[in-house]
Amino acid sequence: MLTYILFMLVVGSIYALLAQSLMLSWGLAGLVNLGLAGFFAVGAYASAMLTTWEHTPIVVGVSAAVLAGGFAGLLVCFSTLRLRDDYLAIVTLGFAEIVRIVASNEVWLTGGTDGISGVPVMIARDTGVWFHLGTLLITVAAVILVYGLQRRLLASPWGRALRAVREDQTVASVAGKSIVRFKAQAFSLAAAIAGLAGALYGHYTSYVAPDQFQPLITIYIFLAVTAGGNARPAGAVLGAYLLVAFLEATRFLAEIAPGVTALQAAALREIAVGIGLVIVLTLRPDGFLPERSQKAPVV
Amino acid sequence: MTEILRRHILGAGVAFAGTVAMPAILRAQTGPIKLGTLTPLTGSGGSYGPSMATTVKKAADEINKAGGVLGRQLLIISEDDQTSPEAGLRAARKLIDIDKVSAIIGTWASAVTTAVVPVCSQSGVFLSTVSGAEPITLLPHQGFLIRTQPTTTLQGTKFGEFALGANAKTVAFVSPQTPFTDSQFAALTKTVTAAGGKTTSLIYDDKKTTLRTEVDQVLRGKPDAIVMGGYTNDTAVLVRDLYRANYRGSLFGFGYSVNKQLVDALPPDVSEGIYTLSPSPAEGSNAYKNVSRLLGVDSPDTYSCQVYDHLNLIAMAMAVGKGDTGTIIKDNVRKVSQGGGERVETAVDGLKLIADGKKVDYDGASGPCDFTDIGDITDAKFRYEQVKGGKITLLKIA
Repeated sequence: MLTYILFMLVVGSIYALLAQSLMLSWGLAGLVNLGLAGFFAVGAYASAMLTTWEHTPIVVGVSAAVLAGGFAGLLVCFSTLRLRDDYLAIVTLGFAEIVRIVASNEVWLTGGTDGISGVPVMIARDTGVWFHLGTLLITVAAVILVYGLQRRLLASPWGRALRAVREDQTVASVAGKSIVRFKAQAFSLAAAIAGLAGALYGHYTSYVAPDQFQPLITIYIFLAVTAGGNARPAGAVLGAYLLVAFLEATRFLAEIAPGVTALQAAALREIAVGIGLVIVLTLRPDGFLPERSQKAPVV
Repeated sequence: MTEILRRHILGAGVAFAGTVAMPAILRAQTGPIKLGTLTPLTGSGGSYGPSMATTVKKAADEINKAGGVLGRQLLIISEDDQTSPEAGLRAARKLIDIDKVSAIIGTWASAVTTAVVPVCSQSGVFLSTVSGAEPITLLPHQGFLIRTQPTTTLQGTKFGEFALGANAKTVAFVSPQTPFTDSQFAALTKTVTAAGGKTTSLIYDDKKTTLRTEVDQVLRGKPDAIVMGGYTNDTAVLVRDLYRANYRGSLFGFGYSVNKQLVDALPPDVSEGIYTLSPSPAEGSNAYKNVSRLLGVDSPDTYSCQVYDHLNLIAMAMAVGKGDTGTIIKDNVRKVSQGGGERVETAVDGLKLIADGKKVDYDGASGPCDFTDIGDITDAKFRYEQVKGGKITLLKIA
């Protein structure tokens, strides 16, 4: 029971990192990033390959994952500079699929669909519950770190300028802000956070494979961020933990529903996720924690 | 925070906490023995998992009616792995930590099995799988794993022999990328080149809705035979596009992909003549007839037969070891699967004999069910079939 709850909290923390990544690129910079699973995968693979095959320390692997994620973000951002909204969404979705398909097929580089098993873990597995608890502390520390960083950035002139870019590019550029620079910085930082999430996930489950990075995970994170509030770090974090709690709670609810077969229970769970989203969007269109309008600083 | 929202969150929290706490009350040593199924009920494996879960549940009901195992009832908890390692792992953790199952039955996709193996062996939970990828039994599972699916290398070799038997000289292997694509193609090539033929391979993306360009590329090599390595949905697309491209050579597919579902979905002349190969269920055996009766179908699929055997083996292993833990199943499963003794085909019969102190040797619905030290089956028979006039007809079992 305890292990299960700890496991779900770790998964929730990984989701919280991904949600904060999406909050930054989508909620603040207005860049719809459907390629989240791709950056998640880049991070997971970067760290898993280094630590499993090259036996580098995990710290090095995780740092490389952050850099690789950030670099991939930069690459995607520069190749999509002139795209916004739906067009950007399609291209980023394509990016995630490219990552997944390359990971499945370039066997020499990634190990193919077998994936990489035996990825080193951060806390020794045979310490029982401490393995989960220790990993949880590390992932929660990462969530807090990223949260603090985001809060700091948002309160700074950089955050204000970023929101200005989101609201109206023309106005922002008339005010002398470099649109490209702000977009690239935000997108790249967001991708780096997703890379960090991927690395931590790989070092927890010991296994990285292309199938883990299906578009479903991106959809889940969009759900979390939409429910929590897409322009506040606290909203993203709250949304992520709520999502995992909800996904798991439907498991138990489907179990006690009378007279349903296993197949019907599985379908009911998917229906519940859909209904949940509709309810949240009807009652709280801006999520549980909507964006606060910031007053202009007193001169 | 509004009043409505606060109540919502509180309500959801209470409901969640309440449901999580529930199994703790039910947990007791004298209660039922809990076993989990982890099959794909949604996702790309969604056409296989439901009947697997049903088979295990119904087979357990029969064991329970006959008195259960060690006087205790079996309780089957079914979870959905969504054909995804991430979701599968979450479901496995729930089965292990909340339900406290002794064994997990039926992981299907090789990637899901690979993700679940370390968790099971570390928690001392027995895992029985139907995944065929070669590396799975080589994982460090400490004996907590068995599989009844023949390895894909063996299947590749059989495909090669099958194609050669149909007078093919140039064989094309067309498959999506899966953990067993490489090993299968290697085994196929070895067999075909040894007989002086040659092979080519083409990997496609199984999520595509048309494979016309891939088909054109394959046909450029003028193959006499095409071996299809995919699953039902993508194989249906491939077969259709091959027909449109006027391909007249012979087609070979896995029994699990070229199944009744596929044949029914396509017009008879499109599927005409496809050869299929599958690990043969022991047709005619009582175990096979039982699965057929439990599911209410004439010819149950190989996976349902395999999970039926898993459940029987696990039930009898617990009876022999006089306990309900994963370690007891691990230590005793080979005592009921092989090594002589009275031949039994259902756990109901086997459990009676074990209670009388006799040794049993289980032969199941999927075959003789004898295992090597790393958990592979030692012997597998294959079933060769061909689609004729919209019906799958048996050629031979060998």
